[in-house]
Amino acid sequence: MSNEHPIRVVVEDDLHRSRLTVAFRLILAIPHIVWFLLWSLGTFILGLVAWVIGLVRGRLPDGLHDFFASYVRYSTHLSAYLLLAADPYPGFTGREGSYPVDVKIAPPEPQRRLTIGFRLFLAIPAILIASTLLSTPFAGGGGSGQNEEWGGGEYAFLGGAGVAALVGFFAWFACLARGRMPRGFRDLLTYALRYNAQMTGYLFFVTARYPDSDPAEPRALGDEGIQPQAVRMTVDDDGLRSRVTVFFRLLLSFPHIVWLMLWGVAAFLAAVASWFATLATGRPPAVLHRFLAAYVRYTVHVGAFLFLVANPFPGFTGAPGYPVDVQIDPPGPQPRLVTAFRLVLAFPALVVGGALLGLLFIVGFLGWFASLATGRMPQGLRNAGAYTLRYGAQVDAYGFYVLTSRYPYSGPSRPAEPPAAPADEPDAPGAPLAATA
Amino acid sequence: MPRARRLPRRRSALILALALVGWALAAWFLWQTEVPDDLQLRHVEPRDVVSAGQEREASNFEEFLRFDFLLSQIAVVAALALYAVFGPRFLRESAAGRIGSGMLLAMLGLALVWVVSIPFSVAELWWSRRHDLSEESYGERVLGGWLALGGEFLFICLAILIVMGLAGPLRDRWWIPGGAVFVGLATLFSFVFPYLVPDQAPLRDSALSASARDYARDLDVEEVGVRVQKVADLTDAPNAMAVGLGPTRRVIIWDTLLDSRFSDDEVRVVLAHELGHHARDHLPKSIAWYALFAFPGAFLISRATRRRGGMRRPEAVPLGLFVLVALSLLALPVQNAITRHLEAEADWAALETTKNPEAARALFARFTTETLADPEPPTWAFVLVDTHPTVVERIAMAHAWAERRSP
Repeated sequence: MSNEHPIRVVVEDDLHRSRLTVAFRLILAIPHIVWFLLWSLGTFILGLVAWVIGLVRGRLPDGLHDFFASYVRYSTHLSAYLLLAADPYPGFTGREGSYPVDVKIAPPEPQRRLTIGFRLFLAIPAILIASTLLSTPFAGGGGSGQNEEWGGGEYAFLGGAGVAALVGFFAWFACLARGRMPRGFRDLLTYALRYNAQMTGYLFFVTARYPDSDPAEPRALGDEGIQPQAVRMTVDDDGLRSRVTVFFRLLLSFPHIVWLMLWGVAAFLAAVASWFATLATGRPPAVLHRFLAAYVRYTVHVGAFLFLVANPFPGFTGAPGYPVDVQIDPPGPQPRLVTAFRLVLAFPALVVGGALLGLLFIVGFLGWFASLATGRMPQGLRNAGAYTLRYGAQVDAYGFYVLTSRYPYSGPSRPAEPPAAPADEPDAPGAPLAATA
Repeated sequence: MPRARRLPRRRSALILALALVGWALAAWFLWQTEVPDDLQLRHVEPRDVVSAGQEREASNFEEFLRFDFLLSQIAVVAALALYAVFGPRFLRESAAGRIGSGMLLAMLGLALVWVVSIPFSVAELWWSRRHDLSEESYGERVLGGWLALGGEFLFICLAILIVMGLAGPLRDRWWIPGGAVFVGLATLFSFVFPYLVPDQAPLRDSALSASARDYARDLDVEEVGVRVQKVADLTDAPNAMAVGLGPTRRVIIWDTLLDSRFSDDEVRVVLAHELGHHARDHLPKSIAWYALFAFPGAFLISRATRRRGGMRRPEAVPLGLFVLVALSLLALPVQNAITRHLEAEADWAALETTKNPEAARALFARFTTETLADPEPPTWAFVLVDTHPTVVERIAMAHAWAERRSP
């Protein structure tokens, strides 16, 4: 079996958006929404038929496979159009190659009857992840379902809408203002759409391969055009997990959480001082930058430990070298205007970061069971967690702690590598350990 | 033996002897109570206090709990002994440096203790529920233990931070300032503890409140108030405690004492008993006793872990944990004797204050009928487990007080 997932998303989008169609996108999509609902009903009914046939024959008939494949493609086209991940008005048939954000689906293959029999139950973790990323009829419908428990309010807005819906909301304003889709937003949507397509395909027996939650694999796009980030993540983790520390992971994190809160008070005061200093001098003071960078690193270490993105018990100082770490550039000049309105500018990133926290919780929750059972953290989950931690660190560094004026990059693709360390400093602290997410 | 070697040994022996003398003097001073030295307690037969059936039921009930306790302690010690050997392997799970790794190993040790204790805790709950002494669910017991474990993790991390932080620069002498810090922490904890007890409310019974005020005045602890803790949802067992230090002193009684099973006079004995603890400075004395055990205990841990590089090395933490628990168990009979001694003095203070030995006798007898306290447990259990005088001893003291007052 090839390593490539049988359901892949292919993107040929130049980021250009028509302001007119963006402005009326929801209304323009009404015929599609009606058609999608009807098609979904048919898909549900045929899904039951396919389940019985699959159980008997061990594979789907070509006709049914093509029907579900078209449905997966069409739902991806429509979601991409609604969420502004693509610009053209999609067709109604889900034809392959007809849309800039498209889905390539491999031909049908034999499937194990056991996994067909329990497909709905097996798909529950994937449905959880998909519902956090993208709210669709087959991905939770109402998001992660936190809103009732948390009493609605802002949590309903943050968690209930799904990451993609929030990104689409902010992208609408950006596209209207600039006529272009921000690259990070588009790439994040591509990730959500790809995962949802794989989940739907798995649910409807298009493939037996489980959805891949790894945000960066397979790459839908190259990394060209992505600005180097001031906050970069390095991952040097073999995936092995100690079952004992996994079982007690939450309790073992208590001292770190308490220390994080105490340090957070000092970090808040330092951030306020750094903001004033940056406003006055145009660059953050080195001492405060160092202090706050260590705090941001520490939050990443604790988050990685708590949510099983990394295995070892982290230190309490935020020193570099943890298996899941962030490199933060030294202090540089920052535009005073950007500094003055930092929190306002950071608002979309803060909201998206908050929504991605839902994904991190799901990663930790599912990873806990997987790690306890197998002694390993699934790579896809691990990388999804690392991605949310990286974005959270970028948001913190930009929005709260004035460590950089580079806007957080919300896409999961690999950012361009920073300039390499001088040849005479091969062991410079903070050099990438194994991979950059 | 060369003279140069003999001198340090003699000096060490002299210091040890002085320490022992100082320890003994302090212990003698703390042991003194206001219970008359010539008080003769005549033996009281359990059958004189409760019926044969009640005695048998209480005895059976406590017998199970005693064995459950003993087995749990054996299991914990065995688990920690294994952990002392194999625990350092978990160092590979840490990227936290010397002290952080020590914290991880200490927390994992506590987690192990928790896991090992679960079956015994559940068995104890099953037995209590079977005798209608607890309404706690099994889920609450396990989950509550899990949450409490989080608090213990925080405490052990603080302890490791202190010990390993001191052991870094001071090496094997960390126990001297370490003992002092732990005594300070115990004092601080006693001071703030009244604020940590949940579900407290003022004592609303005006008659009992007035009595409590009178007793507090008689015992010269007017500033000590009485609060009621709501626990009836969890248990039927009655209880009360004297908590706090200085301005935070208070008496807390469980609402199960006020549910009409106990007469007002019996509750008054309880109030006077707890106020007696405050009046006789039992909490500061308990801290002083703790200090007398903390310093030698820390010293022994320091000596025991030297082979693993001392407590400055995280590898020594599992062994240190094992030694701590083993020493605590070894000290248990002595500590129980001390607490029984203090409780007896509080009983005496209650008799002197309420001047109602009949109510005291009725109260102590009710401990057997209501909470199934074995009126006369076997000696080994009394020595190892019991923190209070037996029911028959307490009733004997009430008799003795009455006889001394009779013309």
